[in-house]
Amino acid sequence: MTHPSISTVDDLLRQRLIICVGCGGVGKTTTAAGLALAGALRRQRTAVITVDPARRLKDALGLRTLSTQPTRIMLENGSGTLEALALDTKRTFDALIARVAPSEEVAKRIFANRLYQELSNEFGGSTEYMAMEKLHELLDQDAYELIVVDTPPSAHARDLITAPVRLIELLASSAVRFLKAPAAMLSGMETGFARMTLNGLFKVLQRWTGFNVLEDLSDFAANFEHLEAGFRSRAAEVAEALRQSSTSFVLISTPEPDTVATTLEFYEELRKEGLPIAGVIANRVYSFPPLGRSAGQGYPESLRKKLLTNYADFAALSARDEQALTRLQSEIDAPVLATLPVLEEPPASFPALRRFAELLSGG
Amino acid sequence: MSAPELLFITGKGGVGKTTIAAALGRRVAQEGRRTLIVELGADRSLATLFGKRDLRHEAAPLAPRLFGVRVEPRALVEGYFNRLLRLSFLSRRLFASATFNAITAAAPGVTEFLVLENLLQWLDSGLLTRRRYDLIIVDGPASGHAVRLLRTPRTIATMVPGGPIGSTARKLLGLLADHQRTRVLLVTIPDEMAVNETVEVHEALASGLALNLTRPVLNRVFPRRFSREECQAVDAFLATHGPDPLLSAARLQICARHDAERHLSRLRRAFGCFPIGVRQVCADRVRHSDLDQIGRPLARALFS
Repeated sequence: MTHPSISTVDDLLRQRLIICVGCGGVGKTTTAAGLALAGALRRQRTAVITVDPARRLKDALGLRTLSTQPTRIMLENGSGTLEALALDTKRTFDALIARVAPSEEVAKRIFANRLYQELSNEFGGSTEYMAMEKLHELLDQDAYELIVVDTPPSAHARDLITAPVRLIELLASSAVRFLKAPAAMLSGMETGFARMTLNGLFKVLQRWTGFNVLEDLSDFAANFEHLEAGFRSRAAEVAEALRQSSTSFVLISTPEPDTVATTLEFYEELRKEGLPIAGVIANRVYSFPPLGRSAGQGYPESLRKKLLTNYADFAALSARDEQALTRLQSEIDAPVLATLPVLEEPPASFPALRRFAELLSGG
Repeated sequence: MSAPELLFITGKGGVGKTTIAAALGRRVAQEGRRTLIVELGADRSLATLFGKRDLRHEAAPLAPRLFGVRVEPRALVEGYFNRLLRLSFLSRRLFASATFNAITAAAPGVTEFLVLENLLQWLDSGLLTRRRYDLIIVDGPASGHAVRLLRTPRTIATMVPGGPIGSTARKLLGLLADHQRTRVLLVTIPDEMAVNETVEVHEALASGLALNLTRPVLNRVFPRRFSREECQAVDAFLATHGPDPLLSAARLQICARHDAERHLSRLRRAFGCFPIGVRQVCADRVRHSDLDQIGRPLARALFS
């Protein structure tokens, strides 16, 4: 699903929710901050959720530390407002458990559970889950006209979307069902035989992991049962928000061939999930076209030679990038919303971030 | 320092681990050693660099004395439980179960352990046969995952004292801890976040796990092309002549080089040795000639 009405970053900024996706190292966080700033300068009340921002970006936002609570960034008069926050998976996860748990006692038991500790730290999808959880919180407050979400560097775009649901499915219902009747996992099997097999399996797992899988799992599931309803309704609400027509997904990509390949995979996954894709923002693109023979004639000969050799390198990189852009354009059924040049350095001050925001919106 | 038997390459996503693995593998094979590159990461770019379509789980020739193989962690887990349960229809049902997948994903170390155990088959020599490969290069997963992977044998060896699993874990632990046989190579690029991660991973692997780390590789470095005077001349001409693509390209190059030098010295402080700079490939794609240009100095810096 694409938005026929969005063809520029300006159009994009009229949305209520922008989700930036892409593989790691493409400048997703900076782009998200740039989009949010561009939105705020258009007199919108804006919030940006970032994941693991670089020190330079924190400097650019004028924030030494970025907490899990929105912090107001000073803009000049006459513009909107910009608030930024960063995700801290483990802390947010704990806070969430504390909030949905029916009693402190239950929350404590969950924190102490080994499976929970593993899952909240390492289970693929918990950062994705938390991004969505934070988003739910902000949407709920109804205090913003525009929310821009940076996303964790997932291996798969669908992890982002399906993480909440998966987490619930896996941890709550199926674990509970499974513990009530382990043989259901092998439905249709003769029960005694299946149970025997599974018991053998768990012995292996136990030897491996050093903890009693069944005991921990049952403990976890029993406690999780209390949380299930709360988790479910929140996940459903976020899933709905992601599919609204006022929501846009934006693919961020750099032109390196490997990155482009991953971006195309992300695109396919988002498309299959039926999520609204507004387009692509191409970041760090070289654009040095071939020069005429007379180029650089005003310079001293030795410098001119070096300048030309150097330019040839950048022209070659530009040719690579042009191929990449052509590939993105031909394989993605959505426009390239912006092409950002390679900068001498990433934005490290507020004026630099502002220039970046202007570049983004074609200024 | 002589060449190890096992070189484990890792780094943040998108820093060019595969290119480094391929360049090094090509060079070492050219020097006469039988080399296997094991692709573990999520992308499948190794095959493309050698003009092949895809790699399988059986080692395939990439160049003379150079072989490539792809390890699918999920397939290893399934294979293991297949052997364990012996009935494939049973295990098929099991793999389709979300609960089973959740447990094996969450249970620390199952996948990691099988991945490492799988490497042993290529390293072990039989009673009568010699080792199949002189060097195994693992084009590893992104650094966070790699730390977990390399930590697994230690965790399991302490948790599981006896049995076949315990003894395999101890064997792996011995292999990884052997500074002669095994080395870890971290690849990074001149980027704040990438270098931060490299410094953290170095700490976790060198201090935390007592592994032998080689000098780190800083990939995509522009050469030092302009002298200080020339840099000043570029700035002066920019001020007087106004914008000129020739000068902008020079400015970008100078800034990138300057940035790279900053990162090189930061890495040097963190690692206590000089990082190996690998030049930015200025072409539309990486060709064999580029791999050779990268591989030659790299192999020299690492193994001689």
